[in-house]
Amino acid sequence: MKSSILRAGVVALACALGLSACGGGSGDLTLTGYVYNVTKDGLVLQNNGGDDTAVTSPYTAFQFGSRLSNDDSFNITVKSVPSNVANVSDCVVANGKARANYYTIGQISVTCKIRQRALKVTVANLTTSGLVIVNGADRHDVTAGTTTVQMAGVNEDGPYGVTVLTQPTGQTCTVGGGGNGKGSGTMGATEDTTVTVTCA
Amino acid sequence: MKFSLAHKALALAATLTLASCGGGGSGKATYPINVKVQNVLYPGLVLSTNGMDVPVTPPAKAGDDVTFKFPNEVEYGQVYNVVPKGGDLSSSPVKYGTQPLHQTCLPNTNYPDSLPHTATAGQLATIQVNYVCALNSYPLAGTVKGLTGTGLQLANGSTASVTVVPATDSTTSKPTGADTTFSLGKVYWNQTYGVTILAQPAGQTCSVTAGGDNGKGAGTMQDTNTTSSLTDSTGVTNIVVTCVNNAG
Repeated sequence: MKSSILRAGVVALACALGLSACGGGSGDLTLTGYVYNVTKDGLVLQNNGGDDTAVTSPYTAFQFGSRLSNDDSFNITVKSVPSNVANVSDCVVANGKARANYYTIGQISVTCKIRQRALKVTVANLTTSGLVIVNGADRHDVTAGTTTVQMAGVNEDGPYGVTVLTQPTGQTCTVGGGGNGKGSGTMGATEDTTVTVTCA
Repeated sequence: MKFSLAHKALALAATLTLASCGGGGSGKATYPINVKVQNVLYPGLVLSTNGMDVPVTPPAKAGDDVTFKFPNEVEYGQVYNVVPKGGDLSSSPVKYGTQPLHQTCLPNTNYPDSLPHTATAGQLATIQVNYVCALNSYPLAGTVKGLTGTGLQLANGSTASVTVVPATDSTTSKPTGADTTFSLGKVYWNQTYGVTILAQPAGQTCSVTAGGDNGKGAGTMQDTNTTSSLTDSTGVTNIVVTCVNNAG
């Protein structure tokens, strides 16, 4: 009992005298976490203002190079973000500042918000009811006479593909336009992408 | 020895005292089983433990928590195991029991709600069991026929995309054009899907030729699970993409 107290005291004293000797780089705790909504290179994280760590494919997790010792302070910040994220503040670190122990190093994540681009559908010659168009889970009922449908925003650099779920009564509508001329493509860095639906 | 004898005598005295108080039953402490269910949106969930069944009705306002106590308390030392009726969360594959429509409810694993759904009464000062429900999602998948070129990308709107690689002969490594399966992840119940060709393969043109509600790769996801097991959740796997060689 006595000896362990003494030892702890000595170690603490040693740390107080020379913090750097106890600090990062030589510990056995690996600073890792998950990343969400990252689709391309460009996200760089820092710990305590250094140890730059780039998040690379498949963009699901990060791991800092330096290891931490128990009770070392860590403070993870975002240095730069991918080109499809508008601001550095759009990538948010959760539980990124704490003292290292087996619990705190397992609670970290970084979530980015990808810039949204508008997807518009122009409708030509729709004279009857019943048309339903979808971009995946984004569903829109289109009434007779409609000329424009504003679809939900799409991630910059993300895919889209507009199709007809249900044809209108007595008419057949065909999807055109977009990146591949058939209503699908990859959302570019321009504000508007237009897909056409032509009914006959 | 002396001490242990004294101890026994004390215990006996305690027992006698307790009995003389009357109405104390067995004298063991009992514990109410408190339950909180989050995000239950549809009716059908029945939670069970120790021979008691409690149907869980969705809250009047969607998103509110549902809280209740099981009708009887459990005694100190008794094991409780709160599961959807008929379920077995420790079996493999898991039996999910009596779940609500369109949802699956499981013990909450997020701190600080991550309390055990099964334990022995008395291990913790109070018994609190937390469940959280999520909408069911089912696979969206299919087959590509005649694919020999590389570069085919399929998408389900902006929800998911996948690159499909042609099947190759194991000895010559040349594409065979044999059927290749693809997966576009999962789609939540009642969500729409629509498979499109995002990028054509080299030298070929592919189109969606069958599958889904409309026979052209689009539809609305319906429940395909069974009451006892989500492992039977087949989803939509009949999407067919057919590729033909470009002229010339």
